[in-house]
Amino acid sequence: MIEFDKVSLRLGTFALKEVSLRIRLGDFYFILGPSGAGKTVLLEGIAGLHAPQSGRILLRGEDVAGIPPERRRISLVYQDYSLFPHMTVAKNIAFGLKMQKADRHTVERRVEDLLEAFGIGALRDRHPLTLSGGEQQRVAIARALAVEPDILLLDEPFSALDPVTKEKFIEDLREIHRTRDLTIVQVTHARDEAMRLATRVAVIIEGMLAAEGGVEEIFSAPETCDLARFMGIENILLGRIVSSSNHVVRVDTGAATIIAVSDLAEGMEVAACFRAEDVTLSFPGTPGSSARNTFEGTITAFTPLGPLMRVSIDCGFPLIATVLRDTVKEMGLSPGSRVSASVKASIIHLTASEQTITD
Amino acid sequence: MHSRHRVFDPCLISFSLIGGLIIGLTVLALLNMAVKQLSDIPFLISTATDSGVINAIVVTMGAGLHAVLILLIIGTPLAYVLARTNFRGKGVVESIVDIPIMIPHTVAGILVYLLFMRRGLLGAPLYEMGFSFEDAYPGIVVAMLFVSAPYYVNSVREGFEKVPVHFENVARTLGATRFQAFMRIVLPLSVRHIVNGSILAWGRAIGEFAAIIMIAYYPFVISTLIYYTFTTSGIKASSTVAFVMILACFAAFIILRLLTRYTGRYDDRV
Repeated sequence: MIEFDKVSLRLGTFALKEVSLRIRLGDFYFILGPSGAGKTVLLEGIAGLHAPQSGRILLRGEDVAGIPPERRRISLVYQDYSLFPHMTVAKNIAFGLKMQKADRHTVERRVEDLLEAFGIGALRDRHPLTLSGGEQQRVAIARALAVEPDILLLDEPFSALDPVTKEKFIEDLREIHRTRDLTIVQVTHARDEAMRLATRVAVIIEGMLAAEGGVEEIFSAPETCDLARFMGIENILLGRIVSSSNHVVRVDTGAATIIAVSDLAEGMEVAACFRAEDVTLSFPGTPGSSARNTFEGTITAFTPLGPLMRVSIDCGFPLIATVLRDTVKEMGLSPGSRVSASVKASIIHLTASEQTITD
Repeated sequence: MHSRHRVFDPCLISFSLIGGLIIGLTVLALLNMAVKQLSDIPFLISTATDSGVINAIVVTMGAGLHAVLILLIIGTPLAYVLARTNFRGKGVVESIVDIPIMIPHTVAGILVYLLFMRRGLLGAPLYEMGFSFEDAYPGIVVAMLFVSAPYYVNSVREGFEKVPVHFENVARTLGATRFQAFMRIVLPLSVRHIVNGSILAWGRAIGEFAAIIMIAYYPFVISTLIYYTFTTSGIKASSTVAFVMILACFAAFIILRLLTRYTGRYDDRV
């Protein structure tokens, strides 16, 4: 559907460097990256608003170099929604249809349908600057869909929404994607959005494609240490594989020995990655956990995260766990408490650490 | 007694007093003239109804309007290009736009004269075609156009720059060509800057003297008439003509401001 073949695109301080991607028909494709990584430029490149300095962009199998945005049949929704302030909601939605010279009857009917589908009929004659963020968002999506594109580009669509509106909108988007035969490309820096909506994910760091793949592989099994960090994996321990047998390896980090399920060879420098939510806490000496990794340590700090609590533990190396707040209360934990932290060997992901790559 | 506490900011107060000098000077100059003029109403009326004076005012304002109409057509595209593109040598182009602001008006007048006089680079071929600029209405328009263009272009360019480029981008993905996006999005959102730029340019045009007399001493624009009256009939007669012009300008600007008061208010953003 959309293909990037070694695309390089510079624009001011933003730059994409030789990015190659394949977005397939029907994908809900997420492009993740830190702010300033060139994600918006990438979307504008797909829309035809910037031409790449080198490489090719293919749409629906065709090289689109020289095809202006108005003939690409791609809709783009910006983070700030960019509703036309001098037009009413209905006129904003009708804009694209008028540009396509649709007859008045079609325009009216399509606008009515969209107003109804997005529950914004009451806003028909309002001007955009009088709308709330969530309302503006719905108008912007309705306007983008009015021209019936087969590709929809979304630039950080959730960043300006309050949590409740955001939840609702995530569901709406899932529905839109399912019912309207759309290929959606969304850029964001928020990983949780990708985890909930994406069918495939690309990660762009400093203008370069750092990873591309299915949601599971990108989030649970990042290929590099940098990627693991960007993915927000809280515990990343560097070490060396000291023994390997029967798919089970032992990694010596200096401060601890970690047991993981992996086929990597003995002697390799690796990073052992696991998420804080995969760590379970218990009192030292209590049996019952089947996990093969257990580290004893002292709690150093608590950070509340909504219903969860992020617990920092000193086990000779820093370790982070997230547990339910209730658990903290029930166990009577406080800074200074001794706990044992367990992680299953099968959940630890090993990735070659930087040193091995540079060797 | 004191139900409200006002906080007097010493900085704002001293700034107001100092800045008030400018306002004071203008008001004093106007009052000084008004008092003298209003003490001889019959002479004022006879001057105001003099056909020479009326002609000069009509020529001045009309030529200014023509200059602005030409600017709307040729200055608007230039303003858009300067607002939306980056190219090598853009700084040079911007400096060229500003040249009429930087140089003395007599110099501007000579530049215009040399180009548009009967034997001038552009004047000669145009004279062949039947257009004469020397001592003619088109000469006044050209001189006004030259000196007022930067005010229009810079003001409109600023307006275009304030329209987020995202609006245009969205319009284009929705099927609008660049020109359609310009006409339907950028232009309506810049109306206020276009109006302000036009008023600024018009004001600049009708105030021009030096650049105009170089190429067109006749027909008299108001400034030429005031200067002529000053040198032939003295200060009293010329200041009455000047006062009539002040009244005419005030009236024109007030009407324009009232008419355009609510134009393009939707681009009011904080």
